[in-house]
Amino acid sequence: MRNKGRKWQGMAAIGLVLVMGLADVALAAEKIVIGGMYPMTGRGGRYGLDSVAAAEIAMEEINAKGGVNGRMIDLIFTDDKSSTSYAVKVANRYIKEDKVNFLMGVVSSAVGLAVTEVSKENKVIFVGTDHASTALTMEKFQPYYFRVSNNTYQSAAAAALYATGKKEWKKYYVIGPDYEYGHRTWEDFWMLLGKKRNDVKMVGQAWPKLYEPDYTPYITAILSAKPDVLVTSFWGGDTVAFIKQALPYKLFDKMKMFNYDAGGNYEVLEALPNTLPKGLVLSARHHNNWPDTKENKEYVKKFKAKTGRYPSYAAEGAYAGVYFIAEGVRQAGTAEDSDKLVAVMEKMKFKLPEDPPGFTSYMRPIDHQVVQVQAIGETVPNKSFPPATMMLGNWKIYKAEDIIPSAEEILAARKAAKK
Amino acid sequence: MDANLVAAQLFSGLTSAMTLFLVASGLSLIFGVVNVFNFAHGSFYLLGAYFAYQVVSVSGIPFWPGVLLAAVGAGIAGGIMEYVFLRRIYGRGGEAGFQILLTYSFILIIDDVVKMIWGTDYKSIERPESLSGPFALGDLSVPRYDLVVILVGILVAAGMWWIIRKTRFGRNLRAISANREMASCLGVNVPLTLSLVFGMATALGGLSGALSAPTRTVTPGAGIEVIIGSLIVVVIGGLGNFWGAFVGALIIGEVTAFGILFLPQWAILFSYAVMALVLVFRPEGLLARKGSA
Amino acid sequence: MNGPPAAPGNAARGQLLQWGAVLLFFALVPLGRRSFFITMANEVLIMGLFAMAFNLLYGVTGMLSFGQAAYYGAGAYTVGLLLTRGILPYFVALPLAPVVGAALALLLGPLCIRLSGVYFTMLTLAFAELVWGVAFKWYGFTGGDNGIQGIPVPEWFHHPLHYYYFTLAIVVAAVAVLRRIVESPFGAVLQSIRENPDRTAFLGIRVRRYQLAAMVISGAFSGLAGGLFAGFHRSIGPDMLHWTKSGEVILMSILGGASSFFGPLVGAGVILFIEDMIGKYTEFWEIWIGGIMLAIVVFFPRGVIGTLYQWTRRKGSGERDGNAAAHS
Repeated sequence: MRNKGRKWQGMAAIGLVLVMGLADVALAAEKIVIGGMYPMTGRGGRYGLDSVAAAEIAMEEINAKGGVNGRMIDLIFTDDKSSTSYAVKVANRYIKEDKVNFLMGVVSSAVGLAVTEVSKENKVIFVGTDHASTALTMEKFQPYYFRVSNNTYQSAAAAALYATGKKEWKKYYVIGPDYEYGHRTWEDFWMLLGKKRNDVKMVGQAWPKLYEPDYTPYITAILSAKPDVLVTSFWGGDTVAFIKQALPYKLFDKMKMFNYDAGGNYEVLEALPNTLPKGLVLSARHHNNWPDTKENKEYVKKFKAKTGRYPSYAAEGAYAGVYFIAEGVRQAGTAEDSDKLVAVMEKMKFKLPEDPPGFTSYMRPIDHQVVQVQAIGETVPNKSFPPATMMLGNWKIYKAEDIIPSAEEILAARKAAKK
Repeated sequence: MDANLVAAQLFSGLTSAMTLFLVASGLSLIFGVVNVFNFAHGSFYLLGAYFAYQVVSVSGIPFWPGVLLAAVGAGIAGGIMEYVFLRRIYGRGGEAGFQILLTYSFILIIDDVVKMIWGTDYKSIERPESLSGPFALGDLSVPRYDLVVILVGILVAAGMWWIIRKTRFGRNLRAISANREMASCLGVNVPLTLSLVFGMATALGGLSGALSAPTRTVTPGAGIEVIIGSLIVVVIGGLGNFWGAFVGALIIGEVTAFGILFLPQWAILFSYAVMALVLVFRPEGLLARKGSA
Repeated sequence: MNGPPAAPGNAARGQLLQWGAVLLFFALVPLGRRSFFITMANEVLIMGLFAMAFNLLYGVTGMLSFGQAAYYGAGAYTVGLLLTRGILPYFVALPLAPVVGAALALLLGPLCIRLSGVYFTMLTLAFAELVWGVAFKWYGFTGGDNGIQGIPVPEWFHHPLHYYYFTLAIVVAAVAVLRRIVESPFGAVLQSIRENPDRTAFLGIRVRRYQLAAMVISGAFSGLAGGLFAGFHRSIGPDMLHWTKSGEVILMSILGGASSFFGPLVGAGVILFIEDMIGKYTEFWEIWIGGIMLAIVVFFPRGVIGTLYQWTRRKGSGERDGNAAAHS
């Protein structure tokens, strides 16, 4: 009885070898293959699916014009499940089986930090499109990594400039999700603001867990501290839930809410069609109604036509990623020689939908971080992007060069991390 | 700390506690009677929220009938899960492992079905007009909707007490909970009762989802997020003890409400810390049934 | 494993055959000349070891732990932290992974075994979540939610094939030890605890002490698997400690067959392979994986291997298999 059981196990094992051997063989390399990793399930699902759709739009546009140097672009996508270990496995499969020329994607910073290691080791370029942790371009920088969307430092720096100009903003309270993104977004801002203003103080802080369903106790605590400004470093559904729960307490009549990195993302505006208060100060890494250029309108229109919804900012990151790769390949004349590509890409300029007139996004050699203009706005009634009834307006625009860390800061951070 | 802040935190802690209790009560009921840890309980919460969105925001049915329909819908889904799948594994060797897999598979399936039907956008339902504002309680101003949620929580608790203690059905439940074979010998229709309990408990999950929809984010993945919180509540109170869930929810709600005033950096660990304390000193939970340990 | 004993000669031959098949399979993987297979097989070995460690508790002793990820993660963080801080070299840090796994089990075990059945299961889950919460929150020590990247294992291991054979050697050795434990008189006591804890206690055996020992041994091997994983991906994060990881090994063990020794290993292979194949083709992987799990639970009461085996036996001789699946 036992032997037969064991024979079975042996046979199953051998069967598995056969199946693996017969599994599809990777296709050869005339195309420029980009391996995309995005979450498509759970909380990050909206961002991932938006990214996939926008990347496909970019691919279709480029291929319709004959591709890059005569080569077509090919995209493959896998749900990274926002899991570091699964994403590392997928990245390995992309490189070893699918022979991708580039890795792209990732919404979660933790996943980004793990994938950048795979990129470094295999010398395959990894283009980050939507994770914001500054560490990837500062302490954990490696030459084969590029980021085409802004990081938390840039948002925080623009926010510090905004807050510097608000003389009446003196007492700050911060609430954010208790993980690296939530803390870092706030700390960078507070540090930079402290350099410009010495009359501001923090009157309280709260760090609920990420995806906390219930903010009521936090809201009553915030109200009793009576701050002038409430900085929130929530993103997505957490922003939505917080606003929904704070509304009946009339919190937004009593203080300004300031969410400068992800608060103005379209899916937040859309989720609160009739109840989003006026005058929240928000921003995001791309806006559907700013800049008011032909390119941006065109991009938003195409996205809406393809998916039936307006894009969240993650989409524009992925769109930028594909264009960045295409432009790099065009200029370098290769999709295979990573070192040659890096040399070209790290000095490259590339036009994006989010560039206002007269500005072109560009890559900075020292940290491979895209340099972009940042706009912060207030919620104002605007029904041109339904179902949202509020969009951002009353823009304040911050010059790209004013909101990036200096070369000295970057080198100092890297040196400190080495120790 | 002034009295007003204490009162405000007391109240918001109570609000949190009642929403927690609504999810956890169903979990506890299934655990106590059916002897299953229903990992998919959060998915019925999720279904309740989406059903409510569908009937209230899309079909335009008034809020309260809509919430009720959503709860019934979730209960029917739960009843089907029990009737078609779960009962096949009762009494099987190694049942507990199969239970976890079966209920876990439903988390995955329901999540994808929700994504297929409703997409990944955040869906919104508004509070009924008359409940959207605050209500003045002396110096304290509290959201009317939250008051109603607290009332519903208390009503559910009272209703469940009545059902369990005072009805024939409740007597059957207690009999099954104590000894399934014996109950069967005494003429209790065990399979039917189990399906009903399962349906009732998942309807409670659906009710909490539907009630939470106006104040929370309706998104795929939200189901799995409430399950660990509810589990903690149930473990603190005593597995399978209905009142335990009530007490557990109150403790977690209030500890969080006051804890964040003193240790805002450690909020994430509050509920775990309470649970660890309870487990070390009373591993069977605060209000455990005798003989469970 | 828990059926009536076969004739001794047969058993020895069967065992040889079983070990041979498993070894042959894993030794042959590199011949496929596809380096991703090596990566996959490496992960199968590590998760297989983890699942077998879990199954020492579940399939053998009848204790369904839903918190094994705590020990797995503890092992991984042991290696990750010691190496990134340059405190100890890899060959010293790796052996410490099972030590830390065992120590943690020794700490939490006594609290868990006070309860039995599904109460025990929930308690293990609760404690593991507590450990997860600490790892997730404690930035200064564990790197918080970002975890630890770029763990400096010796350069020689960066070659996938080298690390693969290293893993294979360690896992084979570990599995051999596990096997000895299961077949020893100690293992026999564990199995009798599974079948009937009360009756075992009447025999004068201190059941809890044995249960604790099983938890510690399982924790050690789980920790070893975690330590191996830290050197494999060289990136670790708190998701290794999350309850979903504990759920994964339950799935692997039951799918492969918790009542057969190599079942969990086979289950690990099947799950990781299916997960990769489905993830490759569809964003709706959840409904596929969920559907497959559901089908297995409903139609394969003894796990895939066990049930298929039973079917062929029925066909062959009409004889019924008297094995009882693992009780818990």
